[in-house]
Amino acid sequence: MQSVKEIKRKEYYIFSPFLRIFHWIMVVAILILFGTGLLITKPMFVASAEPYLTVTSVDLVRDIHFVAAFIFCAAFILRIYGFIINKGDRLFPRVWEGHFYEETVDVALHYMLLKPHHASFLRNPLARMSYAALYVLVAIEILTGFAMYFMTDPTGIGAALFGWVNTILGTEMMTHYVHHYVAWFIILFAIGHLYMVVRAEFMEGESEVSSMFSGKKILAHTPKDANELD
Amino acid sequence: MDKRKSLLDAYLERGFTRRSFLKGCVALTSLMGLSTDMLSKVVEAAETKPLPVVIWIHGHECTGCDESFIRSAAPLASDLVLTNIALEYDHLLSAACGAPFEAHLDETIQKYNGQYILAVEGAVTTKESGIYCMSGGHTFTHLLNKAAKGAAAIIAYGSCAAYGGIQAANPNPTGSAGIGNFVGGKPVVNVPGCPPIPEVMTGVVMHVALFGTIPPLDGDGRPKQFYGNRIHDTCYRRPFFDAGMFADNYDDKGSKAGWCLYKLGCRGPETYNSCGNLRWWQGMSYPIQSGAACIGCSNRNFWDEAPLSDRLPKYGKLGDADKIGVGLGVLTAAGVGAHAVASLIQRNQRDNLLEEEEHRD
Repeated sequence: MQSVKEIKRKEYYIFSPFLRIFHWIMVVAILILFGTGLLITKPMFVASAEPYLTVTSVDLVRDIHFVAAFIFCAAFILRIYGFIINKGDRLFPRVWEGHFYEETVDVALHYMLLKPHHASFLRNPLARMSYAALYVLVAIEILTGFAMYFMTDPTGIGAALFGWVNTILGTEMMTHYVHHYVAWFIILFAIGHLYMVVRAEFMEGESEVSSMFSGKKILAHTPKDANELD
Repeated sequence: MDKRKSLLDAYLERGFTRRSFLKGCVALTSLMGLSTDMLSKVVEAAETKPLPVVIWIHGHECTGCDESFIRSAAPLASDLVLTNIALEYDHLLSAACGAPFEAHLDETIQKYNGQYILAVEGAVTTKESGIYCMSGGHTFTHLLNKAAKGAAAIIAYGSCAAYGGIQAANPNPTGSAGIGNFVGGKPVVNVPGCPPIPEVMTGVVMHVALFGTIPPLDGDGRPKQFYGNRIHDTCYRRPFFDAGMFADNYDDKGSKAGWCLYKLGCRGPETYNSCGNLRWWQGMSYPIQSGAACIGCSNRNFWDEAPLSDRLPKYGKLGDADKIGVGLGVLTAAGVGAHAVASLIQRNQRDNLLEEEEHRD
């Protein structure tokens, strides 16, 4: 192996700062929400001299959960703004384009270790689909979360906006279950996502990891979806 | 029956003074969960409105709601039945029986068409044309249809009438369901609970009786004044929840000290009822106060949300969602680890191939 190579690469600016900030808010929020969520379902008990001194106060844990949830929801403003002003932020899977499916199969075969390469993409079709799936999961969490949160006042405006979720799921207990189960799927996504990003880095060395800080990818091949930035 | 008596007439007839009548109205006002501003309206209604005719029928159920109802202390169930309403037909409380009794039902329905209150306990059975619940030689569905047609208002007492109840639990062999879809589209006041709180039962029927309108309802058809809050939010053990002090078992220190029963599967956080503020038996106690976790008996489908003693369902040896989640997390981590190794091998092979090609060139 040579330690110094000369390879010609092109720099593509993809992710706006709004998407990047949103991404990292989301990372922190999901970790906090998941941890506090588990604690709300199964609170820890640490005895102390007086009840109000307990560090595991469920009240506090719930407040942290709620604040994190509100910040996460508010952060979607950044995501939406980035989506509007920057083409690179538009990550939805282009299922309406025929070549999307061939490319998906191509990438999937590579991930199944059946092909040594896959074509170069700014954002590959499988990754796009997984992000779409994540947003669906997050949407379920937001809807069920508010459906539980606002029902402290069943006649209030919050209950009017989100109460239908409980009706669709049948009971509020079911809403709790769905919220809890979907949280686990988000964590499974996160493990897979983290791995795939690091893998892309060591397989191709195309600055997959740093792109979420700098907004840029540096590619040796011309990506198939480069035209999307025009 | 010609001129129907009002509540005031009934009081005077029994030798009470107007003063005690007014006292009774004050008590009624607060029992119905109304503000004292409403007192003048209650008095006016009690003076002028004729006593409401009530038809009370029982479907697929255990009649436990009646057991609760007859224990109402304020108003006393006996006062309510004998003085405050004109109870014309009741499967359980009537002394009469047989053909004359059934004939009286038809008579009542005709005579007071459009005026009577229909109180229903018990579910409707839908399978096999409804033969699982028969009354007076007909299916209960038939009776319900007949009685609902001329009703001014319909009250569904108990979780069975409201949602189907225990007999609607999976696999629901009788096809039991709440009465809501079997009353010809008439609005139904849902008074769920297994059974409902006695004072809630009497309070709702008194509201309909005095004001001639159904009480304000929430989205699920339940009277807001009784089902407007979660038990969790009115529970006297809530401070223990907030502080993180829980009973982990029914025989541990926390349980004896009266701490929160959340970890034992208490459904208080998901259940809307007046147990926390009205309580049972003249405010003596309620399940949580007696040390038993709430099972959410006034909730739709509560019977299918086992285990009632835990926050999360368990799946046999796999455990609950958290255990399965950790397992899946470990599996995923192991999977990506293996994939990483395989990918590295693949990359090395690929690079070797490329190098060979370069040498050949």
